Amino acid sequence: MDGFNLKSVYTVAKKEFLDNIRNKWIILLTIIFILLIIVFSYVAGGQTGEDTFGNMQNTVFGLLGISSLLIPLIAIILGFSTISGEAESGALYVVLSYPIRRIEVLFGKLLGLGSVISFSILIGFGLGGIIIAATVGLDYIKGYLGFIILSIFLGFIYLSLAICISSYCKRRITSIGGGIVIFFWGMIYGTVLIAVMFGAGYSMEDFMAGNIPDWFFNSVVFSPGDLYQTAVQRAFGVTSIDAMGFSVRIPDFLSMTTLIIVHIIWFVIPLVLAYYFFRKRDI
Amino acid sequence: MLILLCSPFGGLDNMVSKIIKCPKCKTHITIQGNPGERISVKCNNCNTKGYFTLPDSTPQAEPIRDSSAISIDIRNLTKHFKGVNAVNGATFKVKKGEIFGFLGPNGAGKTTTIKAMLNLIHMDSGQVRINGLDIKNDDIQIKKNIGFLPERVSFYENLTPIQTLNFFCELKGVNKSIIPSLIKNVGLEDAKYRKVGTFSKGMVQLLGFAQVQIGNPTIYILDEPMSGLDARWVKIIREKIMDLNSRGATIMFSSHILSEVESLCNRVAIIKKGKIIAENTISNISKYLRIKPRLKITFKNFNGKIPEVLKNLEGVEDIEIRGDSLLLSCDSLIRSKIISLLEKAGYVISDFRTFEPSLEDAFVKLVDGDA
Repeated sequence: MDGFNLKSVYTVAKKEFLDNIRNKWIILLTIIFILLIIVFSYVAGGQTGEDTFGNMQNTVFGLLGISSLLIPLIAIILGFSTISGEAESGALYVVLSYPIRRIEVLFGKLLGLGSVISFSILIGFGLGGIIIAATVGLDYIKGYLGFIILSIFLGFIYLSLAICISSYCKRRITSIGGGIVIFFWGMIYGTVLIAVMFGAGYSMEDFMAGNIPDWFFNSVVFSPGDLYQTAVQRAFGVTSIDAMGFSVRIPDFLSMTTLIIVHIIWFVIPLVLAYYFFRKRDI
Repeated sequence: MLILLCSPFGGLDNMVSKIIKCPKCKTHITIQGNPGERISVKCNNCNTKGYFTLPDSTPQAEPIRDSSAISIDIRNLTKHFKGVNAVNGATFKVKKGEIFGFLGPNGAGKTTTIKAMLNLIHMDSGQVRINGLDIKNDDIQIKKNIGFLPERVSFYENLTPIQTLNFFCELKGVNKSIIPSLIKNVGLEDAKYRKVGTFSKGMVQLLGFAQVQIGNPTIYILDEPMSGLDARWVKIIREKIMDLNSRGATIMFSSHILSEVESLCNRVAIIKKGKIIAENTISNISKYLRIKPRLKITFKNFNGKIPEVLKNLEGVEDIEIRGDSLLLSCDSLIRSKIISLLEKAGYVISDFRTFEPSLEDAFVKLVDGDA
């Protein structure tokens, strides 16, 4: 038994990239990224009443809510049927009749689809960043680069989740269900958390006054989208969130190191499960 | 566990005799009975009593002694899906250089067997050896030498045939310079820059045939390669199979359509409800089943009634009237007797033909029967 074959991984990754970069949803979402950056920068600029375009920090904070949904969406679209769909169509039968191990197929898919996401993010946010840099300047460039890296990381987390679902589900249609569930988890998590907070005896007044318990914040670790938003704020060096007239300090527990470790956990666990399901799967 | 020691084939009367081992004292006991019969057995040595069910007598392959002459060796392959026995102890061998037909009705376990052979599904028990290697241990090594075309093959919609074949060449570590000739060989030159997503079913199958030849495998496993294709494509695919075989490759292909198998294969295995019910050459299967040749006798002065002389004649079966002809099944030995009896009875015979049994007859008899 010879070892893990990197060439096979690269071959699968290249194939996935070529096949998916032409996916029209991905092209559309990349265009949406570019437009969003420009629109939010314009909105951010309008708020200050000075420049036409806002600086990088204000722009990013404006679109963070949307990008934390769009990136998972791209990842889920790319990954949800990568195994279940190919098993159903029969393409995977051919691939697995070649001298390649399942773990190599899995890593190849992760890297190939991950590079589609990275490509889309780099083009979308990169181009937007260049426009802002050219018009407003290089303020907050470090935070902006952090934002791009964290966005790619978020993409990989959701890709890992989507591939896990795809490895587990027998059919394409059931993995669509799984994809929707993980997508909505990111969307409704905040609402669920507020409900839990009210259930724990906090009132709307507490919330508005910024009297928010630390556990409320710390529990962002359970939602990759919120985790990502917090990490981006940290990347810009923000320690408290000022919004709707109140200011909340981000708890010390959520240091950049902690956030990155939690990101890694969110990435690794679904991937390990994906391999477990894929290995024992009857194709 | 009672262990089979010798061939289950007995005399001409279809009796099966077998030597089994007493599970307690290991004494050899000889038993005899009809195929499939449950027999009560008593050990003369230790008086242990028990039952033994004789195997259904199936036409067995002649033993292949030279193991290097075997490409694929499947033993007791079993796979359950949610309590259903998809494949139940399938055992067969494919010889080097032959075209082997894997035949059975839909849902009999053909695809499951093939997938288990390639480790696409995990068998519950059994052994698969291909070119002398075990698929469980030497999966990667074995697959370097296999070309597999699954049933209703599918490729990546956004890739062109060239990109698709590029991908598979890289997976096998094969030089890509062969791609143009592969594309030419299957006649897809006009479509080589089109996305595979725009291809017809037949074209995808042809691309599958180009794919399967990558790396010049010595073994081809084709799952229902002609299913769902129209006559023109079927003809092309048949020619491809014969072409590959003439270049020395071993080919195993599955089908539920007899006419596809009959004219192409050297030997066949017939699978039914997950069990191999026959493995042999087509003529041996027919012989075993005692499917008699059909005789067609045409008369000049036929009255349209079954001749009295044939009515109670032993060895004559299934008499049928077709216009001025009579169709019947009989052993070849009594053909001349039939003719002389008819002529004595005043019939004037103008034509006389025999039709050899086809695999179709054998297949119907095996699959519909309780074999």
